[in-house]
Amino acid sequence: MGFLTPWFLAGVVGVGLPIWLHLLKRHKSDPKPFPSLMFFERREQSSVVHRRLDHILLFILRTAMLILLALLFANPFINRATPKAAGKKLVVVAVDDSFSMRAFASGTSGESRLDKAKREALDIISGIPATTAAEVVALGGTVEAMTQQTNDPAELRGAVAAIKPSDSRASFGELARFTRTLAESSKMPIEVHLVSDLQKSALPPGFTDLRLAGDTTLILHPVGGEIPNWTVENVKAPTHVYDPKRVRIQATVAGFGTPAAKRNVSLVLNGHQVQSKPVDVPAGADGAPGRAQVEFDELAASYGPNRCEIKIDSADALPGDDSFQFSVERGDPKKILFIDNGRGNGKLYYQTALDSSTDAAFALDVQRPETAATMSLAGYALVVLNNLGPLPPGLEENLERYVNPGKSLLIVLGPASVAMTKVPVEGDPILPASSYAARETERFLTVGDIDSGHPVMKGLERLDGVSFYQAVRVDPSKDAHVLAKLNDQTPLLLERQIGQGKVLVFTSTLDNISNDLPVHGAYWVPFVLQSATYLGGGGAEQPVNVAVDSYVELRTGESKNAAAEVLDQDGKRALSLEEATNAKTYQLTREGFFDVKTASGQQSLIAAHADRRESDLGVIPQETLDLWKGTGAGGAGSDGSGGNGEQKTTPWSLSPILLLLLLLVALAESVVANGYLRAPAER
Amino acid sequence: MVQRFLDPAVLGQLNSLDLVAKTVVDGFISGLHRSPDFGFSQEFAEYRSYNPGDDLRHVDWNVFARTERMYLKRYRGETNCQVNVLLDTSGSMKFASKGMQKLDYAKFLAASVLYLAHLQRDAAGLIVFDEEVRHFVQPSTRQGQLHRLLHGVAEAEPGKRTNLTRPFAHLMDFLRRRGMVAVISDFWEAPEKVIEMVSPLRYRGNEVVLFHLLDPEEIRPKLKHPVMLEDLETGEMMEVTPDYAAHEYRDKMTAHLADIDSRAKGAGMDYFLVDTSRPLDAALREYLALRTGRL
Repeated sequence: MGFLTPWFLAGVVGVGLPIWLHLLKRHKSDPKPFPSLMFFERREQSSVVHRRLDHILLFILRTAMLILLALLFANPFINRATPKAAGKKLVVVAVDDSFSMRAFASGTSGESRLDKAKREALDIISGIPATTAAEVVALGGTVEAMTQQTNDPAELRGAVAAIKPSDSRASFGELARFTRTLAESSKMPIEVHLVSDLQKSALPPGFTDLRLAGDTTLILHPVGGEIPNWTVENVKAPTHVYDPKRVRIQATVAGFGTPAAKRNVSLVLNGHQVQSKPVDVPAGADGAPGRAQVEFDELAASYGPNRCEIKIDSADALPGDDSFQFSVERGDPKKILFIDNGRGNGKLYYQTALDSSTDAAFALDVQRPETAATMSLAGYALVVLNNLGPLPPGLEENLERYVNPGKSLLIVLGPASVAMTKVPVEGDPILPASSYAARETERFLTVGDIDSGHPVMKGLERLDGVSFYQAVRVDPSKDAHVLAKLNDQTPLLLERQIGQGKVLVFTSTLDNISNDLPVHGAYWVPFVLQSATYLGGGGAEQPVNVAVDSYVELRTGESKNAAAEVLDQDGKRALSLEEATNAKTYQLTREGFFDVKTASGQQSLIAAHADRRESDLGVIPQETLDLWKGTGAGGAGSDGSGGNGEQKTTPWSLSPILLLLLLLVALAESVVANGYLRAPAER
Repeated sequence: MVQRFLDPAVLGQLNSLDLVAKTVVDGFISGLHRSPDFGFSQEFAEYRSYNPGDDLRHVDWNVFARTERMYLKRYRGETNCQVNVLLDTSGSMKFASKGMQKLDYAKFLAASVLYLAHLQRDAAGLIVFDEEVRHFVQPSTRQGQLHRLLHGVAEAEPGKRTNLTRPFAHLMDFLRRRGMVAVISDFWEAPEKVIEMVSPLRYRGNEVVLFHLLDPEEIRPKLKHPVMLEDLETGEMMEVTPDYAAHEYRDKMTAHLADIDSRAKGAGMDYFLVDTSRPLDAALREYLALRTGRL
């Protein structure tokens, strides 16, 4: 028996209190003076005897209460011997099915590492005693339990056979976390058999993430060793192509543990090789891979989405990473409707910024508000309202019909807008006391806060050096997102979702009258292009070239009206009906091209490629593996044999019992003390 | 007739004892004037012819104006009445159940009797005693006598045990003339012993009045729970239960009071039980009414 906090035992000194109250203070009770005891007789009164008995009982109860209280705070415990699960243990067979396991195993003819691992796993299962429960898990980016805990070898074998090669990246940190959770829930020793190529790149950033639970034994079954491997590590290509002659595709070829070699790099467009270039890949140095870059300057892509691929002829053990798929969409320049009443130079500055782009292609169509009120807006990617006063009849309704299904609107407020009471379509009130300050005052504001994570504001820093002389003061509603504020807290740029579409409000002008942003080219051009790209896409720009296990967004907001759709690389529907109407995201778990149509109607071809860290087939050093195994030994010197029938002592707290006793004693004390106080009155 | 009696607690707040006595007695006297049948000891007796050497202050000038003869007014008590007050200051007299000690009440009572005697021009004297005679003022009608008496009363402090033998023996030594002796005490003694000690005073024709001063708590003690009682005179301790105090003690006390009353009357003494919770002037009035009735 011991105490977790023995210093609290000093509280037993408090026992002195009832001793003083009952044994010492009793004798000091003040006698009552009386003129004469002539008519009194000395006799022992029974009531006094009872009272003294009450005192003794009360004294005992109070003393016990204080002792129990002190003991409770001291937190006593006893060591209880518990049999170590009577020789029971749980065997976990973890088979690595990551992308690197597609590599051919060394010393075999055409057998992949995964096949070898599955064979090894079956051997392990056959060695498990019939009374021992086991579980098979597949280790990719996450740990997937292939079976429940079972004693049935046939079920375990079936689970191993069901493991398919995946394109995910292995994570040993996930495996460690899984075993810790399992140890906590199963309360028995765990024996983990990890059948893997033990890739170095599968280690988590911190070694503590590899920590195993106390009674966990890790047994490693390496399959495949360190072999050289070439890969197309990365491809940089535009997602949209408007002019086939103005395309630049840059591919990086890397060699992990490879000697210097010449590799042939091909550009494949929709299944046809269109270009090929040789490249000299240098040998790696100091553990770093050798890298070389290849550029292709032309892509005769057809209109619409195109399936592109960069391939190398490596003839190495992992052919899966010798190609890198990416998607490119060719289209006409997007049309932007610029509604302007001819005042100021806003159109000029905006047009110039759009023309300066090489990647994005936008065609500006300028119309007067009266014309725009009656024309069809369906063909435009974006509508810009530039410094308009009260809108002509029909225009606002026309714009709302345009925005609600998912299109976007850029509203630029200027001196003419002060005449309006609210921002059109977006609806936020324009403050009547809007101090559209005169420039003559030569006072200006700068940007105070900026949401630099927003696609429109990316790379704009804080618009350093840009002066704002005039801005319309808008009172943003709760669901409006203020992207930039001037340093007097006036919103400069705010975004609000209207239906499925977006409205961006710029509270200063596009010319250089109200601010000097248009003459700061480093900010102005990115601002115009990014806002046009962000809005012109009709929604968030979906990345079209992503790594396996990434998520694509299927819908924004709560809208369930439209169904989303995903066609996988085999052309099959990847979503169930319920997922099509409810799912917000979809995880791309395999390599290949996915045809994604979001709920807002945006259609894109997304290319998913395996994480190229899987291409590095270097294995974990033996000392690191030993350290890892040591974390789960439950103490130094354990060889992870599991221990059969050993006695294990665990501290068992006595606090609940003491608490119960204390409660009972306190109750008894209350009853006795209450009876004692009431007795004289009754007598 | 509505009487407004003086609460002992109010009297206790008056610092000066003569003021207390005057407050009590003057109100009391004013009541007497409305009742001509009432009287104390000194009453008009007769006229005597003036002899040379007599004090001219006692000449009744009204009679002289009518008859051109000089007569002196003579009072009954003027010649042969002495009033002596014996004040018990034993330890038991310091008992108080509600604020005012028995001794303070006894002092007010003594002062009032002495002041009354002074008004009647009786020769008044005082003996303050416990087991010894603590203070003695010889009876006299001299100027300043009242001041000496009240001073003696005011100086009285609670003493030790009660012993009536010594003060009465002392009193017998100087008691030359007949008069009245008022004994103010709680008489915590066996009744036969009290009467035995007081009786010799009666032999010389004195009127003896026993003022038996008791606190209501002494007569009917009320205990809520068993308590330890301490005898104020002997210091003896005893644990007492409420049950005993409520029944046996009260029976014994009632018997004691009845015994002392009957023995006092049997010995020709006036006995009057004074409850310290009652107004002092009311107690005095009641006593005088009883006395008058007997006369």
